[in-house]
Amino acid sequence: MATLFWLQTGACGGDSLALLSAESPSLEQIFSAHGVELLWHPSLSGASMREHDALLERIVNGEQALDILCVEGSIVTAPRGTGLYDSYRGRARMDIARELAERAGTVVAMGTCAAYGGVHAAAPNPGDCIGLQYNRSAPGGLLPPEWRSRAGLPVVNVSGCPAHPHAMTQTLAWLAAGLPLPLDELNRPKAFFNTVVHQGCTRNEYHEYDIEENEPGGRACLFFNLGCQGPMTQAVCNSDLWNGTSSKTRAGVPCFGCTSPSFPRDADLFLTEKVGDIPLRLPLGVERPRYMAYKNLARAAAPERVKDKKMDV
Amino acid sequence: MATIEVNINLNRVEGDLEIALVLDDGVVTEARTVGTLYRGFEQIMMGRAPRDALVITPRVCGICGTAHLYSAVLALEHAWRTPVPPNATRIRNLCLIAEGIQNDLRQTFLFFAPDFCHRRYAQHNWFDDAVDALEPFRGSIYLETLAQTRKVVEIVAHFGGQWPHSSYMLPGGVTTPADLRRVLACRSVLDEIQRWYERRVIGASLDDWLALEDAERYFAWLDTPAHAGSALGLMSRAARSLGLHLCASGTPHMLSYGAWCNPDRWSSPHDARLLPGGFYDGGSGTVEPYDQQLINEHVRHSWFRPYDGGQHPWNGETVPDFQPNSDRYTWAKAPRYGDKAVQTGPLAELLIGGDALIASLHRAEGGSAWLRQFARVRRIAVELKQARLILDELTANLHEPHILNPAKTQETDGEGYGLIMAARGALGHWLKIKDGVFEKYQIITPTAWNASPRDSGGLPGHWEQSLVGLSVQVPDDPVEIGHVIRSHDPCLVCTVHVLNTGTRLRFGP
Repeated sequence: MATLFWLQTGACGGDSLALLSAESPSLEQIFSAHGVELLWHPSLSGASMREHDALLERIVNGEQALDILCVEGSIVTAPRGTGLYDSYRGRARMDIARELAERAGTVVAMGTCAAYGGVHAAAPNPGDCIGLQYNRSAPGGLLPPEWRSRAGLPVVNVSGCPAHPHAMTQTLAWLAAGLPLPLDELNRPKAFFNTVVHQGCTRNEYHEYDIEENEPGGRACLFFNLGCQGPMTQAVCNSDLWNGTSSKTRAGVPCFGCTSPSFPRDADLFLTEKVGDIPLRLPLGVERPRYMAYKNLARAAAPERVKDKKMDV
Repeated sequence: MATIEVNINLNRVEGDLEIALVLDDGVVTEARTVGTLYRGFEQIMMGRAPRDALVITPRVCGICGTAHLYSAVLALEHAWRTPVPPNATRIRNLCLIAEGIQNDLRQTFLFFAPDFCHRRYAQHNWFDDAVDALEPFRGSIYLETLAQTRKVVEIVAHFGGQWPHSSYMLPGGVTTPADLRRVLACRSVLDEIQRWYERRVIGASLDDWLALEDAERYFAWLDTPAHAGSALGLMSRAARSLGLHLCASGTPHMLSYGAWCNPDRWSSPHDARLLPGGFYDGGSGTVEPYDQQLINEHVRHSWFRPYDGGQHPWNGETVPDFQPNSDRYTWAKAPRYGDKAVQTGPLAELLIGGDALIASLHRAEGGSAWLRQFARVRRIAVELKQARLILDELTANLHEPHILNPAKTQETDGEGYGLIMAARGALGHWLKIKDGVFEKYQIITPTAWNASPRDSGGLPGHWEQSLVGLSVQVPDDPVEIGHVIRSHDPCLVCTVHVLNTGTRLRFGP
């Protein structure tokens, strides 16, 4: 059995609620069929806080083994580096997180807040929020870049706002089985971050022929004008649908790039910044001159049914 | 007389909660509710583009982001005087209902009711039933609740792409229309959850249950095997045998903004509601229309830069001022309606909205921890019925517009508010736009009302009042406090600007 402790720091609870939406495996299956033993989750545990306090003590003094520590929420360091804007019984949660991390086999940042700072770190960052091992995309998190857990891993960043339900439960199942979990350059498990949100979007035919929406509510692509980050954002939203049903871009909501360390970007989130007619940020790895040539050709090739936005998404 | 002061922390709530109590011979004589987290959403909104509120503010709360989204979009539409076509309002209402059902079921059967499995209750005749049904990750109702709530938020995903945290309500409408496929998929989800609710939660048909209109008839029902054996029957039997129907009423005054905007009213500020709102005056027992101008927030006992009395949110400010060694004890502000501390939530929503059974129970026994929880489960029936009606209306008007984007010239500077009933009660966003960006953004959440600290006049908030007089057997393991506080459906992450401190603890960098 792999023991699991879930710590909430500066959080909205959204990752925990997304976790309850996972189906394959579900949270219940993580406990019943994947060998995870839940020591504590603040919203779900039946035990009292007195038992929680005793448990914390046993983990810290080494009597209780901790295999997986999940942290949900930004690491709040204000005021003046004390972390007391987010505390438990007078202690900064930031310090509790650090103490538990030292004991944990693997530390998993569940959501962009714990990974990189997230929405609470948006300007002017009133809580001086950071991530566990990153401050946005730079070093400067709670733990230094060279830090490794007992199992030899950096903090595993299951980013997203919230993190995708299956990115969370499947990471937990894999870790509990003791299997290797390759990470990308931002320490995200590659299995969930090696595709872009754009891949699998039902607006792709519109994108392909450069048929773009100028205002919300339509059927066409949201990339050129409405701020969609789908072509640049690595996540499984369109290959493993949310709630088994859909995704934001399918529903006409631009991707805000919530798995990225820079989320939320410091700009109008429903607007695409452009150079001339072309977005400033291009799909991952694409060169501007070639992209312009391709788009000009694409629009010329568009069939009427796409040009006239007749096709459902 | 033995006077002790204890600080109690509670899990199985949304967010972080600490309560400072003074106990005299085991009875609570003073209570102070203390949040433990400051994130500063209102500051983050300053200087941002108006639509960014639709991305940032839903992330105030993971369990009711749809409600924040709805409030934010109404506030923008109010500022810009944007009309909203009926289908857009229908879809918004449907998604809010789905999120509400999710919340009400999880709050009841994952957060509140598992307390009845406490070892101390082993001698009660309902104890074995409670363990069978409600033990975390083992009880039958607990597991079924996990499955059903996972299902119901699919409705939000059909229109918003995902739950939690999407941004599909935009000024003038929603991003996705209803169509044949979505309407039928949502109907299927509703059918399934209704069958489960009828069979397992209330032990009756929805129509019979909604037709039940007075307290005496409900008590007679409670003795029938069908209802007594249902999840709500079990909860009522347990709660009432512990006296939770006779305690913890808190402030008698209630506030509801009214549930669900009326789709047939296109024009802002969308004050017309399907279930009427109002202010229930606990002194006179009458409901009067509410006036949002009377809402004001105090900071006398909060860690904010002081100002005199209360400020309307349009004039409000949120400037942190950490003063641990004073009589200030929380960074939650104290919202007041005029000079009154009010409570809000499903009890307020249904009582003010005119639900006959809730009104009858309230007349018979007053507000109580049990009635708050009972009203939450009752509301699910009202929501299910409304959701079906919405699907019928969408079907009949399938090709009507789902969005009418405002012209750029309409996106002017100005001020607006968006008031709705979230799962936990009255939620309001107030904003001011200047030079095309936010100059001010203030949010008053339901938990801000309920978990309010004392105001400038020293008047305690609703939870603080509801705890006074309660007997606590074992201060180290205060299950009584758990019942009462969880019956309020606390959502401390919702308290936007709360910041940690213990009343009598000293912090110092």
